[in-house]
Amino acid sequence: MTSLQLKAEVEDFLYREARLADEFQLDEWEALLTDDFHYWVPAGRLEGDPSEQLAYLNDNRARVATRIRQLKTGKRLSQLPFSPMRRMISNIEVVDQGDDTISVKANFVIYEIAAQSTGELRIWPGQAQYRLRRVDGSLRMSSKWVELVTAELGQRNLTFLI
Amino acid sequence: MGINYGQLVRGDRIHASLLHDPEAFADEMERIFVNGWVFVGHESEIKEHGDWVTRQLGTESVIMVRESDDSVKVLANRCSHRGTALCWEQRGNNSFFQCTYHNWRFGLDGSVRAIPFPDGYDTPKEDLGLDAAKRLETHRGFVFVNLDGSAGPLADHLGAAGYELIDRLCDLSPTGEIDLSKGWIAHRVQSNWKLWPESDSDGYHVGFVHASMSETTDTYYDEVAVGGDAVRRSRAVDYGNGHIELDWRPSYQRQLAWLGITRDKVESYCEALTERDGTESAEQMLWDGPPHAFLFPNLFLGELVIAIVEPVGPGEMIHRHTSVQFEGVSEDFNRRLLRQTEAAVGPASFITSDDAITAERIQAGISGTQRSWADQDRGWIDLSRGLHREQIDETGARSSDASDETTNRGFWHRYLEIMTEQV
Ligand code: FES
Ligand SMILES: [Fe+2]
Repeated sequence: MTSLQLKAEVEDFLYREARLADEFQLDEWEALLTDDFHYWVPAGRLEGDPSEQLAYLNDNRARVATRIRQLKTGKRLSQLPFSPMRRMISNIEVVDQGDDTISVKANFVIYEIAAQSTGELRIWPGQAQYRLRRVDGSLRMSSKWVELVTAELGQRNLTFLI
Repeated sequence: MGINYGQLVRGDRIHASLLHDPEAFADEMERIFVNGWVFVGHESEIKEHGDWVTRQLGTESVIMVRESDDSVKVLANRCSHRGTALCWEQRGNNSFFQCTYHNWRFGLDGSVRAIPFPDGYDTPKEDLGLDAAKRLETHRGFVFVNLDGSAGPLADHLGAAGYELIDRLCDLSPTGEIDLSKGWIAHRVQSNWKLWPESDSDGYHVGFVHASMSETTDTYYDEVAVGGDAVRRSRAVDYGNGHIELDWRPSYQRQLAWLGITRDKVESYCEALTERDGTESAEQMLWDGPPHAFLFPNLFLGELVIAIVEPVGPGEMIHRHTSVQFEGVSEDFNRRLLRQTEAAVGPASFITSDDAITAERIQAGISGTQRSWADQDRGWIDLSRGLHREQIDETGARSSDASDETTNRGFWHRYLEIMTEQV
Protein backbone atom coordinates (compact mmCIF):
# COMPACT_ATOMS: atom_id res chain seq x y z
CA MET A 1 0.00 0.00 0.00
CA THR A 2 1.37 3.43 -0.89
CA SER A 3 1.48 6.14 1.72
CA LEU A 4 -1.22 8.00 -0.21
CA GLN A 5 -3.50 4.98 -0.09
CA LEU A 6 -2.83 4.58 3.61
CA LYS A 7 -3.52 8.24 4.25
CA ALA A 8 -6.82 7.97 2.40
CA GLU A 9 -7.82 4.91 4.40
CA VAL A 10 -6.89 6.59 7.69
CA GLU A 11 -8.82 9.73 6.77
CA ASP A 12 -11.89 7.69 5.91
CA PHE A 13 -11.65 6.00 9.26
CA LEU A 14 -11.29 9.25 11.23
CA TYR A 15 -14.13 10.96 9.42
CA ARG A 16 -16.38 8.01 10.03
CA GLU A 17 -15.39 7.81 13.70
CA ALA A 18 -16.11 11.53 14.02
CA ARG A 19 -19.51 11.30 12.37
CA LEU A 20 -20.59 8.33 14.48
CA ALA A 21 -19.59 10.19 17.65
CA ASP A 22 -21.33 13.39 16.54
CA GLU A 23 -24.51 11.49 15.75
CA PHE A 24 -24.49 9.31 18.86
CA GLN A 25 -24.46 6.15 16.78
CA LEU A 26 -23.13 4.45 19.84
CA ASP A 27 -23.11 0.80 18.79
CA GLU A 28 -21.49 1.63 15.48
CA TRP A 29 -18.88 3.74 17.27
CA GLU A 30 -18.18 0.98 19.76
CA ALA A 31 -17.73 -1.46 16.90
CA LEU A 32 -14.67 0.57 15.84
CA LEU A 33 -12.83 -0.28 19.05
CA THR A 34 -10.39 -3.10 19.66
CA ASP A 35 -10.75 -5.24 22.80
CA ASP A 36 -7.84 -3.44 24.44
CA PHE A 37 -9.06 0.07 23.59
CA HIS A 38 -7.89 2.90 25.83
CA TYR A 39 -9.62 6.27 25.95
CA TRP A 40 -7.89 9.15 27.73
CA VAL A 41 -8.56 12.85 28.22
CA PRO A 42 -6.02 14.23 30.71
CA ALA A 43 -6.35 17.47 32.62
CA GLY A 44 -3.08 18.59 31.02
CA ARG A 45 -0.86 17.56 28.14
CA LEU A 46 -0.64 14.06 26.68
CA GLU A 47 2.43 13.06 28.63
CA GLY A 48 3.44 10.83 31.50
CA ASP A 49 1.82 7.60 32.59
CA PRO A 50 -1.98 7.86 32.38
CA SER A 51 -2.45 5.39 35.22
CA GLU A 52 -0.61 7.72 37.62
CA GLN A 53 -2.69 10.81 36.89
CA LEU A 54 -6.13 12.07 37.71
CA ALA A 55 -7.79 12.69 34.36
CA TYR A 56 -11.11 13.93 33.07
CA LEU A 57 -11.57 10.55 31.49
CA ASN A 58 -9.48 7.40 31.57
CA ASP A 59 -11.49 4.45 30.26
CA ASN A 60 -10.33 0.96 29.63
CA ARG A 61 -12.46 -1.16 27.31
CA ALA A 62 -14.85 -2.22 30.10
CA ARG A 63 -15.38 1.31 31.28
CA VAL A 64 -16.04 2.72 27.86
CA ALA A 65 -18.65 -0.02 27.46
CA THR A 66 -20.26 1.21 30.68
CA ARG A 67 -20.11 4.78 29.38
CA ILE A 68 -21.98 3.73 26.26
CA ARG A 69 -24.52 1.67 28.20
CA GLN A 70 -25.17 4.67 30.43
CA LEU A 71 -25.76 6.89 27.39
CA LYS A 72 -28.19 4.31 26.05
CA THR A 73 -30.38 4.13 29.15
CA GLY A 74 -32.36 7.17 28.06
CA LYS A 75 -31.89 8.44 31.63
CA ARG A 76 -28.45 10.00 31.35
CA LEU A 77 -29.53 13.52 32.31
CA SER A 78 -26.42 15.23 31.05
CA GLN A 79 -27.11 13.80 27.58
CA LEU A 80 -30.88 14.09 27.61
CA PRO A 81 -31.32 15.07 24.88
CA PHE A 82 -28.05 14.21 23.16
CA SER A 83 -26.03 17.33 22.40
CA PRO A 84 -26.43 18.52 18.82
CA MET A 85 -22.84 18.63 17.71
CA ARG A 86 -20.44 18.55 14.76
CA ARG A 87 -16.69 18.32 14.69
CA MET A 88 -14.14 19.31 12.10
CA ILE A 89 -10.99 17.22 11.78
CA SER A 90 -7.88 18.51 10.10
CA ASN A 91 -4.06 18.44 10.08
CA ILE A 92 -4.14 14.66 9.86
CA GLU A 93 -0.67 13.14 10.09
CA VAL A 94 0.35 9.52 10.08
CA VAL A 95 3.21 9.82 12.56
CA ASP A 96 4.27 6.21 12.82
CA GLN A 97 3.58 2.96 11.10
CA GLY A 98 4.62 -0.29 12.71
CA ASP A 99 3.87 -3.84 11.65
CA ASP A 100 0.33 -3.71 12.80
CA THR A 101 -0.16 -0.32 14.42
CA ILE A 102 -0.63 3.05 12.76
CA SER A 103 -0.22 6.15 14.93
CA VAL A 104 -2.10 9.21 13.80
CA LYS A 105 -2.45 12.76 15.05
CA ALA A 106 -5.19 15.14 14.05
CA ASN A 107 -6.55 18.48 15.19
CA PHE A 108 -10.23 18.91 15.85
CA VAL A 109 -12.80 21.49 16.84
CA ILE A 110 -16.15 20.40 18.20
CA TYR A 111 -19.16 22.68 18.19
CA GLU A 112 -21.68 21.51 20.75
CA ILE A 113 -24.96 22.89 22.00
CA ALA A 114 -25.69 22.29 25.70
CA ALA A 115 -29.25 21.37 24.81
CA GLN A 116 -29.73 19.73 28.22
CA SER A 117 -29.56 22.95 30.19
CA THR A 118 -28.38 26.38 29.14
CA GLY A 119 -28.43 25.99 25.36
CA GLU A 120 -25.06 27.71 25.03
CA LEU A 121 -22.72 26.91 22.16
CA ARG A 122 -19.63 25.18 23.49
CA ILE A 123 -16.43 24.96 21.49
CA TRP A 124 -13.90 22.21 22.15
CA PRO A 125 -10.58 22.61 20.34
CA GLY A 126 -7.81 20.06 20.67
CA GLN A 127 -5.65 17.35 19.22
CA ALA A 128 -6.49 13.65 19.12
CA GLN A 129 -3.90 10.92 18.94
CA TYR A 130 -5.13 7.61 17.61
CA ARG A 131 -3.59 4.20 17.41
CA LEU A 132 -5.18 2.16 14.70
CA ARG A 133 -4.83 -1.55 14.05
CA ARG A 134 -5.99 -3.73 11.24
CA VAL A 135 -8.40 -6.40 12.47
CA ASP A 136 -9.83 -8.83 9.93
CA GLY A 137 -8.79 -6.54 7.13
CA SER A 138 -10.31 -3.31 8.40
CA LEU A 139 -9.03 -0.58 10.67
CA ARG A 140 -10.01 -0.42 14.32
CA MET A 141 -9.02 2.00 17.02
CA SER A 142 -6.93 0.69 19.92
CA SER A 143 -6.56 4.04 21.62
CA LYS A 144 -7.83 7.56 21.40
CA TRP A 145 -6.05 10.14 23.49
CA VAL A 146 -7.39 13.67 23.47
CA GLU A 147 -5.48 16.77 24.44
CA LEU A 148 -7.81 19.70 24.91
CA VAL A 149 -6.41 23.18 24.33
CA THR A 150 -8.35 24.13 27.47
CA ALA A 151 -7.15 21.08 29.42
CA GLU A 152 -5.85 23.00 32.41
CA LEU A 153 -8.72 25.44 32.68
CA GLY A 154 -11.41 22.99 33.64
CA GLN A 155 -14.39 21.96 31.56
CA ARG A 156 -18.10 22.08 31.32
CA ASN A 157 -19.88 18.74 31.12
CA LEU A 158 -18.04 16.39 28.80
CA THR A 159 -20.45 13.48 28.54
CA PHE A 160 -20.54 13.02 24.77
CA LEU A 161 -17.92 10.96 22.92
CA ILE A 162 -15.04 13.32 22.38
CA MET B 1 -30.72 49.22 52.38
CA GLY B 2 -29.33 45.73 52.39
CA ILE B 3 -31.08 42.44 51.87
CA ASN B 4 -33.35 41.27 54.65
CA TYR B 5 -32.04 37.73 54.91
CA GLY B 6 -34.35 36.83 57.76
CA GLN B 7 -37.27 37.31 55.43
CA LEU B 8 -35.75 35.13 52.68
CA VAL B 9 -34.39 32.18 54.67
CA ARG B 10 -37.03 30.42 56.75
CA GLY B 11 -36.86 27.17 58.67
CA ASP B 12 -38.72 25.23 55.99
CA ARG B 13 -37.97 27.15 52.78
CA ILE B 14 -35.67 29.66 51.19
CA HIS B 15 -36.29 32.28 48.57
CA ALA B 16 -34.96 31.39 45.11
CA SER B 17 -33.76 34.93 44.47
CA LEU B 18 -30.84 34.19 46.81
CA LEU B 19 -29.51 31.83 44.15
CA HIS B 20 -28.92 34.52 41.54
CA ASP B 21 -29.06 37.94 43.20
CA PRO B 22 -25.76 39.82 42.61
CA GLU B 23 -26.17 41.76 45.84
CA ALA B 24 -26.55 38.55 47.85
CA PHE B 25 -23.49 37.19 46.05
CA ALA B 26 -21.43 40.23 47.02
CA ASP B 27 -22.58 39.92 50.64
CA GLU B 28 -21.64 36.22 50.69
CA MET B 29 -18.16 36.83 49.32
CA GLU B 30 -17.54 39.26 52.15
CA ARG B 31 -19.34 37.71 55.10
CA ILE B 32 -18.75 34.04 54.34
CA PHE B 33 -15.46 33.97 52.40
CA VAL B 34 -13.60 36.91 53.94
CA ASN B 35 -15.02 37.19 57.46
CA GLY B 36 -15.31 33.44 58.08
CA TRP B 37 -13.25 30.26 57.97
CA VAL B 38 -12.77 28.64 54.57
CA PHE B 39 -10.86 25.61 53.32
CA VAL B 40 -7.84 26.40 51.13
CA GLY B 41 -5.97 23.20 50.38
CA HIS B 42 -3.91 20.40 51.82
CA GLU B 43 -0.33 20.50 53.06
CA SER B 44 0.59 17.52 50.87
CA GLU B 45 0.17 19.80 47.85
CA ILE B 46 3.16 21.88 48.90
CA LYS B 47 5.73 19.46 50.27
CA GLU B 48 8.97 21.33 49.50
CA HIS B 49 10.08 24.78 50.56
CA GLY B 50 8.90 27.26 47.95
CA ASP B 51 6.14 24.99 46.62
CA TRP B 52 2.99 26.96 45.99
CA VAL B 53 -0.49 26.55 44.57
CA THR B 54 -2.99 29.21 43.64
CA ARG B 55 -6.55 28.96 44.83
CA GLN B 56 -9.71 30.96 44.65
CA LEU B 57 -11.46 31.83 47.92
CA GLY B 58 -14.69 33.33 46.80
CA THR B 59 -13.61 36.20 44.59
CA GLU B 60 -10.17 36.45 46.20
CA SER B 61 -7.23 34.76 44.48
CA VAL B 62 -4.64 33.46 46.94
CA ILE B 63 -1.31 31.67 46.94
CA MET B 64 -0.78 28.86 49.44
CA VAL B 65 2.95 28.45 49.91
CA ARG B 66 5.42 26.38 51.94
CA GLU B 67 7.87 28.70 53.60
CA SER B 68 11.52 28.04 54.27
CA ASP B 69 10.76 27.47 57.97
CA ASP B 70 8.27 24.72 56.93
CA SER B 71 5.20 26.71 57.86
CA VAL B 72 2.32 27.29 55.47
CA LYS B 73 1.27 30.76 54.47
CA VAL B 74 -1.72 31.97 52.48
CA LEU B 75 -1.04 35.23 50.62
CA ALA B 76 -3.17 37.41 48.40
CA ASN B 77 -2.20 36.80 44.79
CA ARG B 78 -1.95 40.53 44.27
CA CYS B 79 1.07 42.76 44.23
CA SER B 80 0.89 45.23 47.09
CA HIS B 81 2.18 47.96 44.80
CA ARG B 82 -0.46 48.31 42.09
CA GLY B 83 -2.34 45.04 42.23
CA THR B 84 -0.80 42.86 39.51
CA ALA B 85 -1.42 39.13 39.97
CA LEU B 86 1.84 37.46 40.98
CA CYS B 87 1.12 33.88 39.94
CA TRP B 88 -1.04 32.79 37.04
CA GLU B 89 -0.27 29.12 36.91
CA GLN B 90 -1.88 26.59 39.18
CA ARG B 91 1.30 25.55 40.93
CA GLY B 92 5.00 26.06 40.99
CA ASN B 93 8.12 26.38 43.09
CA ASN B 94 9.93 29.65 43.72
CA SER B 95 12.28 31.07 46.29
CA PHE B 96 10.50 34.42 46.00
CA PHE B 97 7.63 36.02 44.13
CA GLN B 98 8.43 38.76 41.67
CA CYS B 99 5.88 41.09 40.20
CA THR B 100 6.26 41.62 36.46
CA TYR B 101 5.08 45.23 36.43
CA HIS B 102 7.75 47.13 38.41
CA ASN B 103 9.70 44.09 39.63
CA TRP B 104 8.92 44.32 43.33
CA ARG B 105 10.17 41.16 44.94
CA PHE B 106 8.48 39.40 47.87
CA GLY B 107 9.68 36.65 50.17
CA LEU B 108 7.69 33.45 50.59
CA ASP B 109 6.24 35.00 53.73
CA GLY B 110 4.87 37.92 51.74
CA SER B 111 7.33 40.55 53.01
CA VAL B 112 8.97 42.94 50.59
CA ARG B 113 12.50 41.85 49.71
CA ALA B 114 13.48 44.33 47.05
CA ILE B 115 12.06 47.38 45.35
CA PRO B 116 13.76 48.90 42.29
CA PHE B 117 14.95 52.47 42.92
CA PRO B 118 13.92 52.33 46.58
CA ASP B 119 14.83 55.94 47.26
CA GLY B 120 11.41 56.87 45.86
CA TYR B 121 9.78 55.55 49.03
CA ASP B 122 9.48 57.02 52.49
CA THR B 123 7.18 54.26 53.67
CA PRO B 124 8.89 51.62 55.82
CA LYS B 125 9.32 48.38 53.87
CA GLU B 126 7.43 46.44 56.55
CA ASP B 127 4.26 48.24 55.56
CA LEU B 128 4.53 47.23 51.92
CA GLY B 129 4.19 43.44 52.12
CA LEU B 130 1.48 41.30 50.55
CA ASP B 131 -1.88 40.89 52.21
CA ALA B 132 -1.83 37.58 54.07
CA ALA B 133 -4.62 35.55 55.63
CA LYS B 134 -4.83 36.87 59.18
CA ARG B 135 -5.62 33.49 60.67
CA LEU B 136 -4.50 30.10 59.47
CA GLU B 137 -5.02 26.75 61.17
CA THR B 138 -4.55 23.21 59.96
CA HIS B 139 -5.96 19.85 60.93
CA ARG B 140 -4.48 16.61 59.54
CA GLY B 141 -2.96 18.65 56.73
CA PHE B 142 -6.23 20.41 55.81
CA VAL B 143 -5.47 24.14 55.66
CA PHE B 144 -8.17 26.59 56.69
CA VAL B 145 -7.93 30.36 56.75
CA ASN B 146 -9.92 33.32 57.90
CA LEU B 147 -8.77 36.10 55.61
CA ASP B 148 -9.63 39.13 57.74
CA GLY B 149 -8.92 37.62 61.15
CA SER B 150 -12.33 38.51 62.54
CA ALA B 151 -13.52 34.93 63.15
CA GLY B 152 -12.84 33.06 66.38
CA PRO B 153 -10.61 29.99 66.55
CA LEU B 154 -11.07 27.24 63.95
CA ALA B 155 -12.36 24.95 66.67
CA ASP B 156 -15.39 27.18 67.14
CA HIS B 157 -16.16 26.87 63.46
CA LEU B 158 -15.45 23.18 62.87
CA GLY B 159 -16.75 21.96 66.19
CA ALA B 160 -16.14 18.42 67.38
CA ALA B 161 -18.06 17.05 64.39
CA GLY B 162 -15.91 18.83 61.81
CA TYR B 163 -12.73 17.39 63.31
CA GLU B 164 -14.28 13.94 63.63
CA LEU B 165 -15.29 13.89 59.95
CA ILE B 166 -11.76 14.77 58.82
CA ASP B 167 -10.31 12.23 61.27
CA ARG B 168 -12.66 9.52 60.05
CA LEU B 169 -11.28 9.97 56.54
CA CYS B 170 -7.60 10.23 57.48
CA ASP B 171 -7.73 7.30 59.89
CA LEU B 172 -8.49 5.03 56.95
CA SER B 173 -4.97 5.61 55.72
CA PRO B 174 -2.59 3.10 57.33
CA THR B 175 -0.22 5.90 58.37
CA GLY B 176 -3.03 8.28 59.20
CA GLU B 177 -1.77 10.56 56.43
CA ILE B 178 -3.53 11.28 53.19
CA ASP B 179 -2.03 12.88 50.12
CA LEU B 180 -3.93 15.30 47.88
CA SER B 181 -1.21 16.06 45.37
CA LYS B 182 -2.56 14.36 42.26
CA GLY B 183 -3.88 17.68 41.00
CA TRP B 184 -7.32 19.22 41.00
CA ILE B 185 -9.84 19.01 38.21
CA ALA B 186 -12.17 21.90 37.61
CA HIS B 187 -15.75 21.26 36.60
CA ARG B 188 -17.28 24.53 35.39
CA VAL B 189 -20.95 24.78 36.05
CA GLN B 190 -23.45 27.51 35.21
CA SER B 191 -25.07 27.57 38.61
CA ASN B 192 -24.89 29.38 41.89
CA TRP B 193 -22.28 27.95 44.25
CA LYS B 194 -24.84 27.27 46.99
CA LEU B 195 -26.53 24.59 44.91
CA TRP B 196 -23.45 22.37 45.45
CA PRO B 197 -23.32 22.07 49.22
CA GLU B 198 -26.96 21.11 48.80
CA SER B 199 -26.48 18.72 45.90
CA ASP B 200 -23.40 17.05 47.38
CA SER B 201 -25.35 16.27 50.53
CA ASP B 202 -28.81 15.63 49.12
CA GLY B 203 -29.92 12.05 49.63
CA TYR B 204 -33.30 12.48 47.97
CA HIS B 205 -32.18 12.70 44.34
CA VAL B 206 -29.77 9.80 44.04
CA GLY B 207 -32.21 7.23 42.71
CA PHE B 208 -33.55 9.68 40.14
CA VAL B 209 -30.71 11.86 38.87
CA HIS B 210 -28.33 8.90 38.97
CA ALA B 211 -30.69 6.21 37.72
CA SER B 212 -28.64 5.83 34.53
CA MET B 213 -25.61 5.01 36.64
CA SER B 214 -27.38 2.48 38.86
CA GLU B 215 -28.76 0.75 35.80
CA THR B 216 -25.42 0.35 34.11
CA THR B 217 -22.98 -0.53 36.86
CA ASP B 218 -22.86 -2.16 40.23
CA THR B 219 -22.36 0.63 42.66
CA TYR B 220 -22.51 0.80 46.42
CA TYR B 221 -24.82 3.78 46.09
CA ASP B 222 -27.51 1.22 45.33
CA GLU B 223 -27.25 -0.10 48.86
CA VAL B 224 -26.82 3.20 50.68
CA ALA B 225 -28.85 5.76 48.78
CA VAL B 226 -31.24 4.30 46.23
CA GLY B 227 -34.65 2.97 47.04
CA GLY B 228 -36.86 3.12 50.10
CA ASP B 229 -34.91 0.85 52.43
CA ALA B 230 -31.57 2.53 51.87
CA VAL B 231 -32.84 6.03 52.36
CA ARG B 232 -34.49 4.97 55.58
CA ARG B 233 -31.38 3.30 57.00
CA SER B 234 -28.85 5.96 55.99
CA ARG B 235 -29.08 9.27 57.80
CA ALA B 236 -29.07 12.92 56.80
CA VAL B 237 -27.26 14.71 59.61
CA ASP B 238 -26.91 18.38 60.55
CA TYR B 239 -24.10 18.86 63.09
CA GLY B 240 -24.60 22.58 63.37
CA ASN B 241 -22.45 25.42 61.95
CA GLY B 242 -23.49 24.28 58.48
CA HIS B 243 -21.54 21.01 58.65
CA ILE B 244 -23.66 18.20 57.27
CA GLU B 245 -23.35 14.53 56.42
CA LEU B 246 -25.12 11.80 54.55
CA ASP B 247 -24.22 9.01 56.91
CA TRP B 248 -24.11 5.81 54.88
CA ARG B 249 -22.73 3.70 57.72
CA PRO B 250 -25.99 2.06 58.79
CA SER B 251 -26.58 0.87 55.21
CA TYR B 252 -23.42 -0.90 54.17
CA GLN B 253 -24.08 -4.59 53.69
CA ARG B 254 -20.45 -5.61 53.76
CA GLN B 255 -17.03 -4.37 54.72
CA LEU B 256 -15.14 -2.29 52.14
CA ALA B 257 -18.28 -1.72 50.08
CA TRP B 258 -17.12 1.92 49.86
CA LEU B 259 -13.99 0.76 48.08
CA GLY B 260 -15.95 -1.39 45.66
CA ILE B 261 -13.67 -4.30 46.42
CA THR B 262 -13.58 -7.45 48.51
CA ARG B 263 -11.29 -7.99 51.41
CA ASP B 264 -9.06 -10.64 49.89
CA LYS B 265 -7.87 -8.07 47.31
CA VAL B 266 -6.55 -5.69 49.97
CA GLU B 267 -5.55 -8.02 52.77
CA SER B 268 -2.34 -6.16 53.60
CA TYR B 269 -4.25 -2.90 53.88
CA CYS B 270 -6.68 -4.47 56.37
CA GLU B 271 -3.77 -5.91 58.34
CA ALA B 272 -2.08 -2.53 58.51
CA LEU B 273 -5.17 -0.98 60.07
CA THR B 274 -5.48 -3.85 62.52
CA GLU B 275 -1.86 -3.57 63.51
CA ARG B 276 -2.28 0.13 64.16
CA ASP B 277 -5.63 0.25 65.95
CA GLY B 278 -6.41 -3.28 67.05
CA THR B 279 -8.92 -5.69 65.58
CA GLU B 280 -12.09 -4.20 66.90
CA SER B 281 -11.67 -0.66 65.67
CA ALA B 282 -10.05 -1.75 62.41
CA GLU B 283 -12.96 -4.07 61.66
CA GLN B 284 -15.36 -1.23 62.35
CA MET B 285 -13.47 1.16 60.08
CA LEU B 286 -13.66 -1.36 57.26
CA TRP B 287 -17.42 -1.31 57.65
CA ASP B 288 -17.80 2.44 58.07
CA GLY B 289 -15.56 3.82 55.36
CA PRO B 290 -14.98 7.52 54.78
CA PRO B 291 -17.62 10.17 55.43
CA HIS B 292 -19.82 11.76 52.79
CA ALA B 293 -19.98 15.20 54.32
CA PHE B 294 -19.86 18.90 53.61
CA LEU B 295 -17.95 21.32 55.80
CA PHE B 296 -19.31 24.84 55.54
CA PRO B 297 -18.82 26.74 53.34
CA ASN B 298 -16.66 25.14 50.64
CA LEU B 299 -15.22 21.71 51.50
CA PHE B 300 -16.81 18.48 50.33
CA LEU B 301 -15.49 15.28 51.87
CA GLY B 302 -16.93 13.04 49.18
CA GLU B 303 -15.79 9.71 50.54
CA LEU B 304 -12.50 9.19 48.68
CA VAL B 305 -12.81 12.41 46.70
CA ILE B 306 -12.22 15.88 48.07
CA ALA B 307 -13.93 18.81 46.36
CA ILE B 308 -13.85 22.55 46.77
CA VAL B 309 -16.86 24.67 45.91
CA GLU B 310 -15.61 27.85 44.21
CA PRO B 311 -18.06 30.66 43.60
CA VAL B 312 -17.30 32.59 40.41
CA GLY B 313 -20.36 34.78 40.03
CA PRO B 314 -24.05 34.62 40.96
CA GLY B 315 -24.70 32.05 38.23
CA GLU B 316 -21.28 30.52 37.70
CA MET B 317 -19.13 28.25 39.84
CA ILE B 318 -16.41 25.64 39.77
CA HIS B 319 -16.60 22.27 41.50
CA ARG B 320 -12.92 21.42 41.88
CA HIS B 321 -11.96 17.95 42.96
CA THR B 322 -9.05 15.66 43.59
CA SER B 323 -8.59 12.06 44.58
CA VAL B 324 -7.60 11.03 48.08
CA GLN B 325 -4.39 9.00 48.06
CA PHE B 326 -3.37 7.03 51.13
CA GLU B 327 0.13 6.82 52.52
CA GLY B 328 1.37 3.31 53.26
CA VAL B 329 -0.65 1.39 50.68
CA SER B 330 0.34 -0.26 47.42
CA GLU B 331 0.55 1.60 44.13
CA ASP B 332 -2.37 -0.45 42.88
CA PHE B 333 -4.49 0.63 45.81
CA ASN B 334 -3.95 4.31 45.07
CA ARG B 335 -4.48 3.77 41.36
CA ARG B 336 -7.81 2.22 42.18
CA LEU B 337 -8.70 5.40 44.06
CA LEU B 338 -7.79 7.48 41.01
CA ARG B 339 -9.95 5.37 38.72
CA GLN B 340 -12.80 5.42 41.23
CA THR B 341 -12.58 9.22 41.36
CA GLU B 342 -12.63 9.52 37.57
CA ALA B 343 -15.74 7.38 37.42
CA ALA B 344 -17.60 9.31 40.09
CA VAL B 345 -16.70 12.97 39.89
CA GLY B 346 -16.02 15.57 37.22
CA PRO B 347 -17.11 16.74 33.78
CA ALA B 348 -16.85 13.32 32.13
CA SER B 349 -17.84 11.23 35.15
CA PHE B 350 -20.77 8.89 35.52
CA ILE B 351 -22.21 10.73 38.52
CA THR B 352 -21.58 14.41 39.15
CA SER B 353 -21.95 15.40 35.49
CA ASP B 354 -25.62 14.66 36.01
CA ASP B 355 -25.62 16.75 39.19
CA ALA B 356 -24.10 19.59 37.16
CA ILE B 357 -26.90 19.45 34.62
CA THR B 358 -29.40 19.41 37.45
CA ALA B 359 -27.80 22.49 39.03
CA GLU B 360 -27.88 24.26 35.65
CA ARG B 361 -31.54 23.36 35.26
CA ILE B 362 -32.28 24.77 38.71
CA GLN B 363 -30.42 27.93 37.77
CA ALA B 364 -32.51 28.20 34.62
CA GLY B 365 -35.65 27.64 36.66
CA ILE B 366 -34.96 30.28 39.29
CA SER B 367 -33.18 32.97 37.31
CA GLY B 368 -36.27 35.14 36.91
CA THR B 369 -37.32 35.20 40.55
CA GLN B 370 -37.29 38.54 42.32
CA ARG B 371 -36.57 39.30 45.93
CA SER B 372 -39.73 41.38 46.10
CA TRP B 373 -41.81 38.29 45.37
CA ALA B 374 -41.10 36.86 48.80
CA ASP B 375 -44.12 38.50 50.40
CA GLN B 376 -46.32 37.69 47.41
CA ASP B 377 -45.81 33.99 48.08
CA ARG B 378 -43.90 33.53 44.82
CA GLY B 379 -40.48 32.08 44.07
CA TRP B 380 -39.97 29.97 47.20
CA ILE B 381 -37.94 26.79 47.32
CA ASP B 382 -39.38 24.19 49.64
CA LEU B 383 -37.00 22.53 52.10
CA SER B 384 -39.52 21.04 54.52
CA ARG B 385 -39.03 17.37 53.78
CA GLY B 386 -38.74 15.34 56.97
CA LEU B 387 -39.07 18.27 59.37
CA HIS B 388 -41.62 16.33 61.41
CA ARG B 389 -39.42 13.31 61.96
CA GLU B 390 -36.02 14.74 62.85
CA GLN B 391 -34.24 13.44 65.90
CA ILE B 392 -31.75 15.31 68.03
CA ASP B 393 -29.05 13.36 69.80
CA GLU B 394 -27.15 14.20 72.99
CA THR B 395 -24.51 16.19 71.07
CA GLY B 396 -27.18 18.36 69.51
CA ALA B 397 -26.81 16.77 66.06
CA ARG B 398 -30.05 16.66 64.16
CA SER B 399 -30.75 13.71 61.91
CA SER B 400 -33.43 12.14 59.79
CA ASP B 401 -33.96 9.72 56.91
CA ALA B 402 -31.27 10.14 54.28
CA SER B 403 -33.87 11.43 51.82
CA ASP B 404 -34.89 14.23 54.16
CA GLU B 405 -33.77 17.82 53.75
CA THR B 406 -32.12 18.02 57.15
CA THR B 407 -28.75 18.57 55.46
CA ASN B 408 -30.08 21.32 53.19
CA ARG B 409 -31.71 23.06 56.15
CA GLY B 410 -28.46 22.75 58.08
CA PHE B 411 -26.60 24.62 55.36
CA TRP B 412 -29.16 27.39 55.15
CA HIS B 413 -29.50 27.72 58.88
CA ARG B 414 -25.79 28.53 59.13
CA TYR B 415 -26.06 30.80 56.11
CA LEU B 416 -28.76 32.83 57.81
CA GLU B 417 -26.75 33.11 61.02
CA ILE B 418 -23.76 34.47 59.16
CA MET B 419 -25.66 36.79 56.86
CA THR B 420 -27.47 38.41 59.76
CA GLU B 421 -24.59 38.52 62.25
CA GLN B 422 -23.84 41.98 63.53
CA VAL B 423 -20.30 42.78 62.47
S1 FES C 1 2.39 46.50 40.42
FE1 FES C 1 3.75 45.07 41.22
S2 FES C 1 5.59 46.09 41.20
FE2 FES C 1 4.24 47.61 40.55
FE1 LIG D 1 -25.87 13.59 42.95
